[in-house]
Amino acid sequence: MKILIAEDDFASRKFMLRFLPKFGECDVTVDGMEAVDAFMMALEANEGYDLVCLDIMMPELDGYQVLKAIRDIEVERGIPEEKRAKVIMTTALNEGRNVTKAFELGCVAYAGKPIDQEKFESVLKKLGLVS
Amino acid sequence: MAENYISDSMLDMFLYETGQMIESLENIALEKQNDDGFDEASVNEIFRIMHTIKGSSGVMMYQNITMISHKLEDVFYYLRESKPTNVPHSELIGYMMDVASFITEECDKIKDGREPDGDCTELHGKIDEFLSMIKNDIKKSGSELPAENKYVEPTQFYIAPATNVSSHHFHIVVHYESGTEMANIRAYTMAFNLKDIAEDMYYLPEDIVSNPDTAKDILDDGFKVAIQTMSSEKEVLEIINRCVGIEKIDIKEVDESDFANLAGVKEEKTTLQYGGLVIDLDGPIPDSNNETAKAPEKEALTVQKTQPVNPLGDEKLEGKATDKLAELADKGKEKKAAEKPKGEKREVQRYISVNVNKMDELMDMIGELVISQAFVLQNPDLKIPGLDLTNFNKAAGQMSKITSDLQEIIMSMRMMPLANTFQKMNKIVFDVSRKLGKDIDLKIIGEETEMDKNIIEHISDPLMHLIRNAVDHGIESKADRLRAGKPEKGLIRLEAKNEGGKVWIIVKDDGAGMVKEKLIAKAKKQGLLNNRNEKDMTDKEIFNLVTLPGFSTNETVTEYSGRGVGMDVVVQNLTSVGGSLDIESEEGKGTTFTMKIPLTLAIVDGIVVSVGESKFVAATGNIQEFICVTNDMVIKEPDGGQGIMIRGECYPLIRLKEYFKLKDGIDDIEKGVLMIVEHEGRKAGLFIDKIYGEQEIVVKPLPPYINKVKGVSSCTQLGDGSISLIIDIAGIMKGA
Repeated sequence: MKILIAEDDFASRKFMLRFLPKFGECDVTVDGMEAVDAFMMALEANEGYDLVCLDIMMPELDGYQVLKAIRDIEVERGIPEEKRAKVIMTTALNEGRNVTKAFELGCVAYAGKPIDQEKFESVLKKLGLVS
Repeated sequence: MAENYISDSMLDMFLYETGQMIESLENIALEKQNDDGFDEASVNEIFRIMHTIKGSSGVMMYQNITMISHKLEDVFYYLRESKPTNVPHSELIGYMMDVASFITEECDKIKDGREPDGDCTELHGKIDEFLSMIKNDIKKSGSELPAENKYVEPTQFYIAPATNVSSHHFHIVVHYESGTEMANIRAYTMAFNLKDIAEDMYYLPEDIVSNPDTAKDILDDGFKVAIQTMSSEKEVLEIINRCVGIEKIDIKEVDESDFANLAGVKEEKTTLQYGGLVIDLDGPIPDSNNETAKAPEKEALTVQKTQPVNPLGDEKLEGKATDKLAELADKGKEKKAAEKPKGEKREVQRYISVNVNKMDELMDMIGELVISQAFVLQNPDLKIPGLDLTNFNKAAGQMSKITSDLQEIIMSMRMMPLANTFQKMNKIVFDVSRKLGKDIDLKIIGEETEMDKNIIEHISDPLMHLIRNAVDHGIESKADRLRAGKPEKGLIRLEAKNEGGKVWIIVKDDGAGMVKEKLIAKAKKQGLLNNRNEKDMTDKEIFNLVTLPGFSTNETVTEYSGRGVGMDVVVQNLTSVGGSLDIESEEGKGTTFTMKIPLTLAIVDGIVVSVGESKFVAATGNIQEFICVTNDMVIKEPDGGQGIMIRGECYPLIRLKEYFKLKDGIDDIEKGVLMIVEHEGRKAGLFIDKIYGEQEIVVKPLPPYINKVKGVSSCTQLGDGSISLIIDIAGIMKGA
């Protein structure tokens, strides 16, 4: 599985990198723009990401914008729904309306920080990303 | 308290919604428990409730709640689709209540920041069996089973943040062995290691990396660290001990609120900024500002982290960083301020919730106002003869009216109907009676009666106790009831009514009642009679034996009652709000508990009386009449006590002068006044010198240093500014 992590905060990034590599190969970007670029590059190389973890508060583009961009790119390229990347928002903004907004934009999960590793893993299982 | 733990509004929302839905589920179940089955509307409603809970708990990833609510939803799905006729209704109601309790319990765990780890497999299995039974019935009756109600996993999940309830806050001071070189670098290494487990951390001195001079400070004063972490003290110590050259470690756990106050603050300025910041972040952040308020946090963290990267001691850069931090914090605040009015506009509601403390404060202030009004209106300056007070009196009348209106309003603001508290009792009766295998009806009367919120809080526990007692001990088992010729179904009446400035809450059961002889025997056995002659005791006194600490008539201790604690606590709780408990019982017919509770605590009508130089106040509610008596009405009893004969009735006579051991006061009974007081049906005559008049009194508790004076319950301030004691009529009569 290929994982893209977009996270501008060093500590969170470190955390994700300690926790996620056991599930697959991780790439890390530090802002939203870079995340979109990385996503495009991976698609060009025909090895798109299976899982994208997006922070919401990031420089350049925020998590919502990245999520929307990703979905737009996928639609434009005609990628069928079941093959699209699964996106998990990882953020400290856990207010109801933020969550709703992210869900509307089409993320599969919304993880409040600090991230609950166990639950995170069980979501990955439910999504069929890990067995 | 629980609310404080949760800062996650998604969780809040889930808990709130689920709580509401479970409540309506319970209500439907209780409402319909005596019917033969659910009507279509209720089936739909329950289906909808369970479906919603299933969905939201699925998103929140609470598996057990999802599982159990799905099962119950399933049941109602078949009820809705096939409308089977012979569903065992009471069994179904039981399952509904079980599911409701289960989910409520799990939600409580979540509220406390624990994992909802309850095991529902047993209940799940039972409901499953129940469901297959219904399914079979449907098949038997020839109609087709509807398509299966399949559980669809939600496609989106919410991962609640790992709770930081279990976070510890430590203050650590590390002392290095004297002569340790580069203590600052060692300290930094330690801090760096700690960072791995820290949720939040800061240390003093701060500039240990950039400023080698700090090494000396560290050696002298120790290196101070404040850390917030999920790890235990042991784990923290383990990490610290990895470093060498440490002489001594002081570690202590502190409250979250003290976290920012690292002891021995040296560099006040910088710490203040950090301290301020920490408080800012930990404090509650108003909804609309969440985004902006969090922004500085992020920046702050980055700033913190960049500091150690500049080992060259670039003070300028550091200064800049702190400036930036302060600026950001300011910006955040500005935005907050700017956004606030917008937020207020949006929240135009008919109700606002007010902090109870503020209400209490307002209540206090109004109390003070009443006192100072009395200061003004009864001012001695006004008593100068020959003053024309016409205009003054007009104004005074106006003012009195406004203050009494104010009082009424604040009282009414604090008044709440008892309905909520009473509804809870429904559930208790249902739960307990089901577990004990009894069939009991709870009849609620007068639930719209209103009481002061504070008092309601105080009586809800006692009430719960009385109800449990009634279910457990009061009502007999079904067999016993039939034998006694009573209907199989027991009845408990819970009634509230206003009665002479007090609210009476009556719990009446039609059970076995209490047997006086048994009570006395038991009390004797427990040594609770205190050498009193049982023949002198009134029925009331005998029944009141059950309120003594350590008294329990039930031989066996059940899950619900019988441990000998309880009734005394009930009485304690009641007296703390100025209430009392009456017990009446008739063998074979049932027991009645009557709680009499004052409507409100703070302001009562009182009558000011005097004995010699001292002034006392007695609550008007207790006073029956004032009467002048003559010497020949006094009866001297052989034991030295005195009684007084009024209109053919004899009351105990208590001379307040002697009771309070006052130096002055009238001895001649014909020169003073007798005040007949009543408490719980007993009357007594209190002999006083003079009546001053009636006044609204603001009851204040006695200061602790004169606490527990016999015969005095509390104090108040009179119109002339003097302090007066309020006579504890109940207390005095006990001794009479």
